[in-house]
Amino acid sequence: MARNKYDIDEELEKGFDFGKLKRSFVYIKPYKWFMIGALLLSALSSILALVTPTLLQRVMDIAIPDGNRGLLTRLSFLTLGAILLSVVFGALRGVIMSYCGQHMIYDIRKDIFDHLQQLPFSYYDSRPHGKILVRVVNYVNSVSDTLTNGLVNALLDLMNIVFIAVFMFAMDVKLSLIILSGMPVLLVVIFLLKNVQKRANFVLNNKSSNLTAYTCESIEGVKVSQIFNRQQENMEIYSRLNDVYQKAWFKSAYLNNAMSPITENLKQLVLALVYVAGILLISPSIEVGVLIAMATYSSRFWQPVVSLANIYNNFLKTTSYLERIFQTIDEPVDIKDTEGAKEIDNIEGNVEFRNVSFEYEKGVRVLDNVSFTVKKGESVAFVGPTGAGKSTIINLISRFYEPTEGQIFIDGVEIRDITIESLRSKMGIMLQDSFIFTDTIAGNVRYGKLDATDEEVRSACRTVCADTFIEKMPDGYETGVTERGGQLSQGQRQLVAFARTVISDPAVIILDEATSSIDAETEKLLQTGIEHILKGRTSFVIAHRLSTIRNCDKIMYIDKGRITECGTHDELMAKKGDYYRLHNAQ
Amino acid sequence: MEKDGNLKQKKRKREKTPSSSYADGERKIIASHSFSFRIKFVWHNLRGKRPQFIIGLLLTAITSIIVIVNPYMSKILVDDVIRGGKRDMLVPVLLVMSGVVLVKTGLHMLKIVMMEQASQNMLMAIRKTIFRNIQYQEMSFFDKIKSGDIITRTTGDLEYLRHFCAWVTYVTVDMVVTFTAAVVMLVYVSPVLTLALISVLPFILLCSFIYNKKVAPLYRSIRQRLSDLNVGASENINGNRVVKAFAREEYEKEKFSHINGQYMKDNMRAAFAWQRVVPVIDFLAQILTFLTILVGGALCINGSISLGDLTLFTGLTWALSDPMRQVSNILNDMQRFSASADKVIEIYYARPLICDRHNAVDTKERFKGKVEFRNVSFSYAKGPQVLSNVSFKFYPNETIAIMGPTGSGKTTIANLIARFYDVSSGEVLIDGVDVRDRTLESIHRGVSIATQDVFLFSDTVDGNISFCNPDMELEQVYECAELACADGFIRRMPEGYNTIIGERGVGLSGGQRQRIALARAIAAIPSILILDDTTSAVDMETEKKMQYNLQHLPFHCTTIIIAQRISSVRNADKIMILENGSVTIGTHDSLARTNRYYRNVCELQKIEDLPPFEPDEANGSSPEKVKTGFDDAIATEKEVG
Repeated sequence: MARNKYDIDEELEKGFDFGKLKRSFVYIKPYKWFMIGALLLSALSSILALVTPTLLQRVMDIAIPDGNRGLLTRLSFLTLGAILLSVVFGALRGVIMSYCGQHMIYDIRKDIFDHLQQLPFSYYDSRPHGKILVRVVNYVNSVSDTLTNGLVNALLDLMNIVFIAVFMFAMDVKLSLIILSGMPVLLVVIFLLKNVQKRANFVLNNKSSNLTAYTCESIEGVKVSQIFNRQQENMEIYSRLNDVYQKAWFKSAYLNNAMSPITENLKQLVLALVYVAGILLISPSIEVGVLIAMATYSSRFWQPVVSLANIYNNFLKTTSYLERIFQTIDEPVDIKDTEGAKEIDNIEGNVEFRNVSFEYEKGVRVLDNVSFTVKKGESVAFVGPTGAGKSTIINLISRFYEPTEGQIFIDGVEIRDITIESLRSKMGIMLQDSFIFTDTIAGNVRYGKLDATDEEVRSACRTVCADTFIEKMPDGYETGVTERGGQLSQGQRQLVAFARTVISDPAVIILDEATSSIDAETEKLLQTGIEHILKGRTSFVIAHRLSTIRNCDKIMYIDKGRITECGTHDELMAKKGDYYRLHNAQ
Repeated sequence: MEKDGNLKQKKRKREKTPSSSYADGERKIIASHSFSFRIKFVWHNLRGKRPQFIIGLLLTAITSIIVIVNPYMSKILVDDVIRGGKRDMLVPVLLVMSGVVLVKTGLHMLKIVMMEQASQNMLMAIRKTIFRNIQYQEMSFFDKIKSGDIITRTTGDLEYLRHFCAWVTYVTVDMVVTFTAAVVMLVYVSPVLTLALISVLPFILLCSFIYNKKVAPLYRSIRQRLSDLNVGASENINGNRVVKAFAREEYEKEKFSHINGQYMKDNMRAAFAWQRVVPVIDFLAQILTFLTILVGGALCINGSISLGDLTLFTGLTWALSDPMRQVSNILNDMQRFSASADKVIEIYYARPLICDRHNAVDTKERFKGKVEFRNVSFSYAKGPQVLSNVSFKFYPNETIAIMGPTGSGKTTIANLIARFYDVSSGEVLIDGVDVRDRTLESIHRGVSIATQDVFLFSDTVDGNISFCNPDMELEQVYECAELACADGFIRRMPEGYNTIIGERGVGLSGGQRQRIALARAIAAIPSILILDDTTSAVDMETEKKMQYNLQHLPFHCTTIIIAQRISSVRNADKIMILENGSVTIGTHDSLARTNRYYRNVCELQKIEDLPPFEPDEANGSSPEKVKTGFDDAIATEKEVG
């Protein structure tokens, strides 16, 4: 599992192509009628825009020379009408486009977020969180305009080009060919620039994602930085990341801005060619009127081409974002419900490990052929040196990871045949780090049981002895806490997390160092509560304070991924093995 | 007026988030700034690249004027060359036209370069200042502003500042120049008609003004929603383990979907408000064509102007109407800019409340390691009092253990020594000098904490341990790891010290993380080393070895150990029991004999060979007695020894 850090770019496994744009049609499809409507409205308003010049011409040619005020008034009000209509159409299009664009953003973001919920720990563990964050928020925001306005305008421009081309060819083929002659040149330019631009956008995205990742991490770790006086170095690193980002930005910005000057010059060159050809080269055959008309067409033809070139640039930028978004959405879900996985309503709590081996990284065995059975209602403690694989066993029971080899059964059913949701909702898992959400204390406890009543919340807190400190807080159970825990001490956070687990009324309880930061006295009180909770439930406990586990039905000593000793406290003490040694060390 | 409105809104918003009430009143959050202040802010941060910025704007003005040349050339081409038959002029005219385009696009590119350089430079200046600010903020700051919100400010908000600087400014210049040039030219031809056309302008401005009023709060709200998105997503990502442990994926999806939907709704509301005004402005701008025909036609029939003059007018209407239509765009962007700029400015000027005093002592040499609390009381903002009138002394090279119930203020003592918080009353002294009279840098140079909530960076193991000094020799890194009993497992990792560990050290077990954090703390060679429950997840055997190592560190240092296990504390020179805001100090034997709490813990943890219990009730609550008791005796003993 290769891990990523803030200054390592994330490479894309797959190539980089317009197929991504095609894929985004999934998101456009639900709004296709809106899009078509917008397209029609835009077409109508551009036709209306063509009407005004003809009206103007009649004013110049007829109304004014004749001094016909009546006609003048009529024509001017017709113009007014045309303007009014085109403005209304334009506004309608605007409304439709923002409706579609915002909905697409919503849909894409929902998809990426929903998918993230299914991704395993390893996904989150292997990259800075800031890099995930930018994809969910910033990248998604950046794609909507291209997918709505960009797309509609591109279609309009294409229509315009075809439309004008038809008129041109109908009028004069030779000059039309000259006007078209700029196209191959443009295509060559696009072709040459394309890869450089893509690469530049790609690099830029990477650099900006690195920058965000570093900012994120620096905020999270600010206390550590202050403890070690690292601010100056951090600022230098930040500065360096900024420099690299800026360089990437300039390159991408200049390249993206190169298109429009090139097309504009090309447009001017073609126009000049038309004049030269029309006047000097094929002059006898060309009428003045035709030449002027063709010159007008030439600029009318190239206008949408220039605008297409700009849209094309935006498409390029957008694909580089889409790339990242789709990459995340495509991230394989390693642990998912197998076909035919069953929902289980109730768990008895019989757990069996059969020849289970596990490696986080290939070749490094964390668990080596572990087998054991635990009966309903039994309590099991895992002890042993750090890194021996205790937490791994627990992670496997709740299927946070899949065993590399072997099988795990709950009530005789292999856990792979049980839906993850129903499996985990029957388990109360209390992890080492007690993450607290930004919410009230009651809200955090309620996370274990969303429809819990106030009384249930209070009773859960009483069970884990958290009620005393909570009631001392200014707003009691309604006191707001933040992700960082703000005013809560580590021990208090553990108690809140504990209450959260208790309230979920699990059949199997897993406590991974659940009480490490809780003082001994509270722990003693807690013990009564815990015993009450554990009654009739299967439980797995990891604790370093052996006093907390001596009453367990089974104690397993884990060393180097194997169970070396297993038995009750008295049995193991009598054995005078590893456990005995450990116990005496206290 | 506007200011009041914003303030009110700010208040309302603040009430919504529970966490921000935490430090209310401690710091006045600047609600809103005048537009000119925002501009000044941008200008201030443009320093160094101001010439580029000005040149960029000048180039814009020049290109805006150049644009007028080619239509004139086309006119010559059609009238003189084609219709008039002056073919020899064809090539020169075409050359001029092509030259103009070439110059125009060249200047445009140059302008882009200038503007990009200026705006990127501004961004960098702002970003760096913000980053610097964050680095030096005291901890309570982060209880108020969540990391997702800071991320919003350094990404989304700055993007609007960039957009303002690199786009809005030059478009405004382009607009004004084009409009003025056209007006000048048209006034020259027909003042009456020009006046008729310009009469539309006040209406457009009025419309824009009304729109402005209406949409400003909407953009502030969108800004808030964007921040909600960042906060929501980042919390979900950070808490992914809990989400999975409780199988709350659906709940999280729903929760996020709500935020996501709010963001969408607000954006649409703003877009619809915008779409109600744009047509009006657009219509008013385009009405110019109508006016030109109606009024111009009448004037023409009157004979006041010629047909050629009218052609000129119709040909130049765009130069008047386009800038007018652009007004609404610009205002829209300015609104976004304003909403974002206020957020950026707020954090840009956020000065830490805990900072060096004037004339603070910056001790370069190592501390001797004496720590004294003199009548210290402390409470976190609005919370209950954690410490009340506590006094004690730790002497150089002592090992002190701190024990006490959950929430009794053990971590607070560490936080006060390192000055992460300031005392509510009393003094904390290191080597006899109040920590508030020392520079933060010198305190942190001398005091090293292995924190309870271990935060590791997504960096190599080596990078994490040598965090305090990236230039540290590898040998020293190994040595520190060995002292922290971490060397063994690190070497067993696939890439040893070069293994990258994930953010927060995920992938490592709790005990492994704690040992790396301890190695990191030792690497700083502190004079005062604080282990805040750093051994809770470490197994007993390792802990024993660790304790031995800590007593035999290759440098002098006062060691403060916060722990729950008797095994972790019994060998300390002094054990301090923290209970109900006051302290009792003693040794293992004396406390086991006299202190109810300690005795209890010993019994709970099945500690054998305890002396008989002779409760001394006064001991629990009388710090005075503690100070004059064996405390000083131990001290003299130390000094003698």
